[in-house]
Amino acid sequence: MTVLMIGGSGSGKSACAEEYLLALSAGKKKYYLAAMQAYDEESRARIERHRKMRAGKDFITIEQPVRIQDAALYMEAGEKTALLECVSNLTANEMFAGGGRRTKEAVTEAVVNGIARLGEKLTHFVIVSNNVFEDGVVYDEATTAYICAMGRINQRLAAMADEVVEVVAGIPIMIKDGSDRR
Amino acid sequence: MKLIIGGYAQGKLTYVLGQDRQKTYRVLDGDCLRDGDALAEEAEKSVKNRETVIVNHFHLWVRNRLEAGGDPEREVEKFLDRFPDCVIICDEVGNGIVPVEAFERAYREQTGRMVIRLAKEAEKVVRVVCGIGQRIK
Repeated sequence: MTVLMIGGSGSGKSACAEEYLLALSAGKKKYYLAAMQAYDEESRARIERHRKMRAGKDFITIEQPVRIQDAALYMEAGEKTALLECVSNLTANEMFAGGGRRTKEAVTEAVVNGIARLGEKLTHFVIVSNNVFEDGVVYDEATTAYICAMGRINQRLAAMADEVVEVVAGIPIMIKDGSDRR
Repeated sequence: MKLIIGGYAQGKLTYVLGQDRQKTYRVLDGDCLRDGDALAEEAEKSVKNRETVIVNHFHLWVRNRLEAGGDPEREVEKFLDRFPDCVIICDEVGNGIVPVEAFERAYREQTGRMVIRLAKEAEKVVRVVCGIGQRIK
């Protein structure tokens, strides 16, 4: 099963996503795919907070800031499940890696296809994404392209997913139910 | 305590006031009552008249307390001990691009974390969209 979990900053989506994966993955290998790169004190603190949250839950961490499909190279054979945290970092990395800037179309394809290819190898996949759409601010061209790519990516992932869950105040709200599956 | 959450200008206060017209309310504005215990002091006035306390613009109260170097997390716990039947109305502030400024990031993050805690303690959580309340707890 593929679950897309979306929420804003500080919405509690990470904790929710972990609970979801733990409930799905009893007896199976659990991978935590970290797309965030530590570049300053604050990101290190955030990574550390997430690490503490996962402690003792038997996650195997793979750091994969770009080309998410390559995470499969580090996984063992057999039934496995994964939690990807998160699409907003992966998208930013794919867009701005190496100091350049790829088009929103190229980034959308890279992220969606990478996730789809990786998903084929997983029994259960919980994908965390971010609501970056509702602050009403008009941004510069690069940020606008990023927001646009994020919107397209979320739509494509939601179409692929069996369930889409929005997290508000730490509360999961089902916005696409598994029973809708065609 | 009841928690009401939603985007800017979604009709959250109007929604709360329309729920039970038999009650009388004391609406406290988190943006005006920004100093130290101002919020709690104003809420005390509700006791005599048996009014239900509504804390409106809770996110701005958090912001003001952070700017003043306060500890909003502890302060709100104290407030809830005294006024356990209040209604807290908070804007959703996390649904956007991560701000460049450190204070803005901390404010969003802290507001989000506090709202999660309030939601856990709340007897009822409602999300308001276009003036319509969706009960999520």
